[in-house]
Amino acid sequence: MTLQRSQGNPEQGRGMTLHMITKRHLPRRTVLRGFGATLALPLLDAMVPAFAAPEPVKRFGAMYVAMGMSMPTWLQPEGPLQMNPIIASLEKHREHILVPVGLDSEGAVSVGDNGNHPRAQAAWLTGSHAKKTDGPDIRLGVSMDQIIARKYEKDTQIGSVELTLEATDMVGNCAYGFSCAYNNTVAWRTATTPLPMENNPRNVFERLFGASGTTDPKVRGRQLKLDASILDAVTTQVGTVKKGLGSRDVLKLTEYLDAVRDVERRIQKAEDQMDRELPVVAQPVGIPPTFEEHVKLMFDLQALAFQTDLTRVFTFVLARESSTRSYPEIGVPDSHHPLSHHQNIPEKLARLAKLNAFHLKQLGYFIDKLKATQDGNGSLFDTTMLLYGSGMSDSNMHLPRNLPTVVAAGKGFGIKGDRVLVFPDRTPMANLQLTLLDKFGVDVEKFGDSDGRLKPLAGV
Amino acid sequence: MPYGFITRRRRVVVGVGLAGVALILSTSLLAAQSPARIPAAPPAAVPIKAFVDTYCVTCHSQRMKTAGLVLENRDVAAMAQDAEVWEKIATKMHAGAMPPPGSKRPDGTAYQAFISSLEGALDKAAAADANPGRPPIHRLNRLEYTNAIRDLLALEIDGKAMLPADDSGYGFDNIADVLSVSPGLLERYLLAANKISRMAVGDPSMVPGSTVYDVSDRTMGQDDRMSEELPFGSRGGAAIRHYFPLDGEYSVKFTLQRSDLAATYMIRGLDVENLVDVRLDRQRLKLVKIGGAGDKPTFGAVANYYAEEFAPDDKAEFRFHATAGTHTVGVALNRDHWNMEGVGVHRLSLTSDAFNQGVTSGTGSGRIDMTIRKLTIGGPFNGTVPKDSPSRRRVFVCTPVSAADETACATRILSGLARRAYRRPVTAAEVKDLVTFYQKGREGGTFDTGIQTAMARLLVDVKFLFRLEADPAGVAKGASYRVSDLDLASRISFFLWSSIPDDELLRVAANGTLRQPAVLERQVRRMLADGRSSVLINNFFEQWLYLRNMASARPDPARFPTFDDNLRVAFQEETRLFLESQVREDRPVTELLTANYTFLNERLARHYGIPNVAGSHFRRVSLTDDKRAGLLGQGAILTVTSYNDRTSVVQRGKWIMDHLLGVPPPPPPPNVPPLDDTKIEGSLRQRMELHRKNPVCATCHSQIDPLGFALENFDAVGQFRALDGVTPVDPSGKLVDGTGFDGPSSFRKALLTRGEAYRSTLTRNLLTYGMGRGVEYYDMPAVRQVMRESKMSGDRWSAMVLAIVKSKPFQMRRAES
Repeated sequence: MTLQRSQGNPEQGRGMTLHMITKRHLPRRTVLRGFGATLALPLLDAMVPAFAAPEPVKRFGAMYVAMGMSMPTWLQPEGPLQMNPIIASLEKHREHILVPVGLDSEGAVSVGDNGNHPRAQAAWLTGSHAKKTDGPDIRLGVSMDQIIARKYEKDTQIGSVELTLEATDMVGNCAYGFSCAYNNTVAWRTATTPLPMENNPRNVFERLFGASGTTDPKVRGRQLKLDASILDAVTTQVGTVKKGLGSRDVLKLTEYLDAVRDVERRIQKAEDQMDRELPVVAQPVGIPPTFEEHVKLMFDLQALAFQTDLTRVFTFVLARESSTRSYPEIGVPDSHHPLSHHQNIPEKLARLAKLNAFHLKQLGYFIDKLKATQDGNGSLFDTTMLLYGSGMSDSNMHLPRNLPTVVAAGKGFGIKGDRVLVFPDRTPMANLQLTLLDKFGVDVEKFGDSDGRLKPLAGV
Repeated sequence: MPYGFITRRRRVVVGVGLAGVALILSTSLLAAQSPARIPAAPPAAVPIKAFVDTYCVTCHSQRMKTAGLVLENRDVAAMAQDAEVWEKIATKMHAGAMPPPGSKRPDGTAYQAFISSLEGALDKAAAADANPGRPPIHRLNRLEYTNAIRDLLALEIDGKAMLPADDSGYGFDNIADVLSVSPGLLERYLLAANKISRMAVGDPSMVPGSTVYDVSDRTMGQDDRMSEELPFGSRGGAAIRHYFPLDGEYSVKFTLQRSDLAATYMIRGLDVENLVDVRLDRQRLKLVKIGGAGDKPTFGAVANYYAEEFAPDDKAEFRFHATAGTHTVGVALNRDHWNMEGVGVHRLSLTSDAFNQGVTSGTGSGRIDMTIRKLTIGGPFNGTVPKDSPSRRRVFVCTPVSAADETACATRILSGLARRAYRRPVTAAEVKDLVTFYQKGREGGTFDTGIQTAMARLLVDVKFLFRLEADPAGVAKGASYRVSDLDLASRISFFLWSSIPDDELLRVAANGTLRQPAVLERQVRRMLADGRSSVLINNFFEQWLYLRNMASARPDPARFPTFDDNLRVAFQEETRLFLESQVREDRPVTELLTANYTFLNERLARHYGIPNVAGSHFRRVSLTDDKRAGLLGQGAILTVTSYNDRTSVVQRGKWIMDHLLGVPPPPPPPNVPPLDDTKIEGSLRQRMELHRKNPVCATCHSQIDPLGFALENFDAVGQFRALDGVTPVDPSGKLVDGTGFDGPSSFRKALLTRGEAYRSTLTRNLLTYGMGRGVEYYDMPAVRQVMRESKMSGDRWSAMVLAIVKSKPFQMRRAES
């Protein structure tokens, strides 16, 4: 699965994609393409810093919660933020919180294809309609986070991090003929490449910090040094084994050497950052037993990844569509999905609101964490934008309109908080996303089904 | 003088000539390559030009240029320069594909005689300057890496979890040309090297982790004993081999299968008490009671019905002690007394709501049993360095008794490892490099840390990860030379074992005796007999025959409600056991198509309508009715060549042309609409025939479709049928050369009239796999030589493998020009 993850450079994923060549005869150009891509890239990468003016670091995270909210509790009129029971835990971050109301996810609207849940999750961060299939021919659209990831991935060790809490090992048909791919992630590298999400903190740690098992700079530094010296020895060695090899063979070894250099560059980056103050974290054993511990551990890891500038982009599914998780620890013993079909029964709506509040509280934890982490002259949160929301509003009806959405942005983005903005009906969610993309200086004219920008947020 | 004799004489002479140029052919090898006896006189030579002028140039003329090929006035004398074209002609004719139907065609004898003449001339032309090819350096693919670690360190790793899948070319994933390296892959190698070296040494600072094993798919029924490693009288579950890196505590947790739709994600069969038996190396660790009254969900309130608090399997995690090394962890369910003998007799339809949403067991027919979905093993907790483990035994060939001993012992350990990893004797400089890394590790840790550090270095070594073959000094540009014995040893072991040579093979290579024919043959036979050669059987056939696709085949449950995961696994197992028996018993290669036996368990036998097979274990069954004889009667082949919802005569026909006859039809021209299933009336056959009235389609489909129709008696999941819907199946047809058939049995006989094409296709595929490179036209003389040599030994598998190992492309290499 890691094959399709975006990592340091975009071509790398491409080079490793599984080209299953089913024809018996291999087109020559397939081979050449493989060589070309890997040979050319390190050069290109190395050239970029020389030309690009330094830009302030900006970070982005998108958090998805499934199956809407208790809308009677959530909705509020335009004006200053009102602390309803769902959002109350964010009181102390009020000045950074913006609640847009009235945004629609047209991509999630049924075209007679059933599958309300996968469609809602798929459309949320892509503004696109999921192609109904349970085969390999899935198609959606590039997700917002990946547009930002493409901009930053050359500067960081990892393009983007994809997190989830539930197992994503479902394959095939997840709901009414929709592939599980739509239900397993919200991050789409391309219209046909969903990025797998990781729910095991242990694996997240390994992806971020390698095999050393800890962030302890002494241990990690030793590991990095060892890795570097191994690669160094390999480089020397390639020179000696080249003797007697043909030109094609040498080309292949050059390919290997280029890979060595690329990894060395990443190790160098990691070593450069070793003097940063980092809490020492050992590699987690596995998945913590409770929801809250699990979320917090994932956020802790993500905060570390921001702090070390390993990546600047993440997506995180706190609850996926059709999730059946129950939350007895907060007095919601019901399974999430059936509870979301509340039939407007007040007791159920109340329990759903409780659940919504519990989820949103986790966002507060992450903001706290980022604010408490120093970065340059300010905190990590100053340079971070977080988008939190669901792909439907009233889940009893699977309604993909008027999506409950929260934007939390640090001061670096110039977005005025403590506001509820109500937009006219049928304003695409993608308009918000396009407007937010502008804040990252990515050059995008249209995103998903966007038809414009949100005036009150545009500009700085 | 008989024509065949001339060729062989010439070959010998040329061989010596070559040896004069580039050394290296020993006379003993030549003796091995010279056939011991000369086959019966071939048909009289046919003048090639006259034949071509009569039968080919009408279409392949300067003016018509059919298929871009001009044969008019082609200079037969310049065959060496034109070998690529002439080889293609020979291949087409072997398959009987040319001249096309409706064109003038010679009788069978003249046809065969022409092929013989053509190939004889080609062999003769090639003999003057045989090109053994030049395989590029070869990165170990994931399977080879995994096996190499097993053989190097006595360590079983989960390669699929550590490394990404490899690209494939020419139908195989061990093709040097496409095995590339990217930064992402290199990072994975570094990470894998770190992990593996820790596991092998037993690093006590290892952080605990967990490994999840998928026991079964949602449609897997677990009615019967699933493995010989599980207790008698049990049902379901699995026995899993797991590597425990340290002596210490480990945790185990089983996850039960939930009902399918997310809305009712509940444990199946929870209302009946089950006993889950968890074992380590067959010894019971714990018997967990689960389900029944205490765990039974309340069905009244919706909230409770859905609630996931009923997850007693979550709570059943426990710890146990294990020593370092590979152990078998077994998990199985108890089998109720009322559970009727027989597999799957109670299964619900996979499309029924009851199956998808239901959670109850009930009793009798139509119940849903509790099944095991996953097994998670965690640890090590409180681990200690093992005093003894298979890996430590393999690695630590000495133990330093004092500090002064350490470097000497490390040097010994690392020399031994490097020799096996590099597949050849090591130089002092190489060992010194590794000892440097040992010292780096030793400085910050123990002796073990030192070895572990050097091992991590060794595992990303270019000489380990790549198979490098260097041209010997002084060899002339473009000259062919015999590869060194050490390179040959690697070629052989990667061919037969997909792994590094073992000590014995390395020893005979290093002492220079591997090139002796008797030694070579003894080694090949020894390695074939070794269990490690199973990888050749599984890996080669599953790629050649597309059997890998069986894992992802998804027959439409609405049309094939009996197809479940048990059947999928049974299909795979049947074909695997069949192929293994064919090769292990050293049967003639054509028996793949004709063997009158197969391997069945009850589930599969019932699917095929074969009586008197009871129980879940597979056993050899003789076929009384030959319609199912050979591979073409097996469910795996019939399913992977079908669509999800119906058979496809085109896919099956194309599969036969491509994989058995070696003449893949060209892709359809652009803008041809697919066959519309919905509009045209009549049987599939009538529709296909209508479609073939279009001359554009007919060129190819007149060859493809009849092959597919021959198998129409088998539906898309391999069940026999006389009717397709309401239409009687008409499996009759003709090969291009007019050989008729009227069903699977006579079709098989008809195919065997093209036995040479089949043998040649098999040879080319096995050579492709064995060499890790595509077979080119200049390899065809070697292919024919392999075919001749195997024929002399009754076309047995060992003979074919041996002939490939002895062939020029395998033994030799062309220097860079």
